[in-house]
Amino acid sequence: MSQRKRSKGLGCSQLPDGEDDFIPTQVERRSPEQLNQKVSELVQFLLVKDQKKIPIKRADILKNIIREYKDAYSEIIKRADRTLQEVFGLQLVEIDAKRHIYILINNLPCAQGELLCRGKEQEKMGLLLVILSFIFMKGNSVKDSALWEFLHLLRVYPGKQHGVFGDVRKLVTEEFVRQKYLETTAIPLTDPPEFKYQWGPRAEKETSKKDVLNFVAKMQGKDPKFWASQYSEANKATT
Amino acid sequence: MSHAGTSGESPPAARRRRARPPQPQERAAREEAAEAAQEEAAEEEAAGERLRQLSIGDGDDDDREHNRMIRSQYRELISTVQQNREAMLNSKSNRLTEALEEANRLFDGVCRAREAALDAHFLVIASNIGKEKASELHSEMSAFDSTAFAEDLLTFMGINRTEVEETDESEDIPGGFLPTGAWQTIGEEAPKYFRRAPTFHYMMGSFKSEPPVPKQRIERQRKASRRKAERAMPAQLKKMEESHQEATEKEVERILRILQTHFEDDPNTPISFFDFVIDPNSFARTVENVFHVSFLTRDGLAKIKLDEDELPIIEPIKPSEGGEEEDSRAGARNQVVISLNQKEWKEIIETFQIREAMITPPYQATEEEMETE
Repeated sequence: MSQRKRSKGLGCSQLPDGEDDFIPTQVERRSPEQLNQKVSELVQFLLVKDQKKIPIKRADILKNIIREYKDAYSEIIKRADRTLQEVFGLQLVEIDAKRHIYILINNLPCAQGELLCRGKEQEKMGLLLVILSFIFMKGNSVKDSALWEFLHLLRVYPGKQHGVFGDVRKLVTEEFVRQKYLETTAIPLTDPPEFKYQWGPRAEKETSKKDVLNFVAKMQGKDPKFWASQYSEANKATT
Repeated sequence: MSHAGTSGESPPAARRRRARPPQPQERAAREEAAEAAQEEAAEEEAAGERLRQLSIGDGDDDDREHNRMIRSQYRELISTVQQNREAMLNSKSNRLTEALEEANRLFDGVCRAREAALDAHFLVIASNIGKEKASELHSEMSAFDSTAFAEDLLTFMGINRTEVEETDESEDIPGGFLPTGAWQTIGEEAPKYFRRAPTFHYMMGSFKSEPPVPKQRIERQRKASRRKAERAMPAQLKKMEESHQEATEKEVERILRILQTHFEDDPNTPISFFDFVIDPNSFARTVENVFHVSFLTRDGLAKIKLDEDELPIIEPIKPSEGGEEEDSRAGARNQVVISLNQKEWKEIIETFQIREAMITPPYQATEEEMETE
């Protein structure tokens, strides 16, 4: 017992890396009520943290909720995920295995015509969908100049306050990026520096290339197969 | 260059001079002759070298001019390429090829590392552009027409193309009036494509973490100022405490003297309490006066009673044994709480026409003292 405890102590920093052999004994030390309490707290924490759609870091979870229950971390996370799925129809997904960052996504198939998002959110999602479609159809990566040129056509200008979105540049380059819907990387050796945009990890989880292609097809009144290479790529992704 | 010339000359001669060891005279004579011949040849060589270097040195300025020109041409080429990046990327243009050919031509005139470095810099930029062009070729995919897509989106959003909007940015943008609910229309369509978790909100509102924070700050400020005040106090406290007690006693004595002085002038007329205590210039001093007078009555040195008009009057008590006994008992039994607010104070001043304070303010004296100091 003492040996296991010692090794568990060493392994604590590596946490949920397949030390399942040791977990049952540690979990037994904690009473089920204590664990359930922690699980409920974690569920509430995740739900509240998800309001802004900014990914949740494991460090925050450990500091605010888990605290001294560090050894039962993976068990608590697993149970919280199960609660979220069974009770709320949501799923806890790790989008960065290295830095341990989580998001909540909807487990249920896309609801039709339900007001799950409210006005302002919906409009932002509209803009986001348009941007994601553009990026995908243009080969999964676009330069910022190309993106803004495209948005120009939709009366959305980076330098001008938009009636609906306000500071669009900030929305796209900061909010969407922070929420991990978009990813921006600098193009080397450009002066003045230019950036390129790609799908962020949250976009990868919340939507799919196939869905986005269907959206484009719907808008343009064409069959998705019209764009052969995008179609094949979209179908490859789903498998 | 000129330095090189002189340095080129000295080493061989120096070497020879250094290398000449002391030798027996016979061999020395033969060797001397041979060495002399060698020296001559070497000198000729050195002279020839110098000439050569000098000849380059003659074109030295030309050379520098030449190199400078090459560098400036390179820099111009680099800046042109960077500024016209978009034009170069256009798959229909040959400008990148032309730029590369230009650089090739320039490179022929390059003979030093400095210009070669510029050439390398240009090459890096050009190859980056080339890479981008290549990736654009690939990403054409199945020719996605973004303009058509944008137009279809606008149509979906409910654009009215018959009305032409008057905007100054409408150079490339097709005319048409976009209704206010445009993005809402797309917004209603969008959630179907996302598996977005609905945001969690308490139905009855939630505790917001904001309000406590300002309170904490205020408390901290108050605590901080209190602490500071306390820290400042210990140094002065010792002085102040004693003077406070003394000051009160002194004040009470002073007021008693004033009261007695007034009474001596006119022993039979008791003084109106209000006339006595009220300072028409300061409410605070009025309150202080009442406070000090209360000490007098407590100690049995003055008494307050109501006259025929039910107005309070004050008079000093002469220290006589009988009077003391009676009055002290009487005084011990009666307690009065006087309340006075600013409004009442002002009313009293008006009613009784109190123009000046009978109890002179104590601080005037100290202020004068301070001024003289």
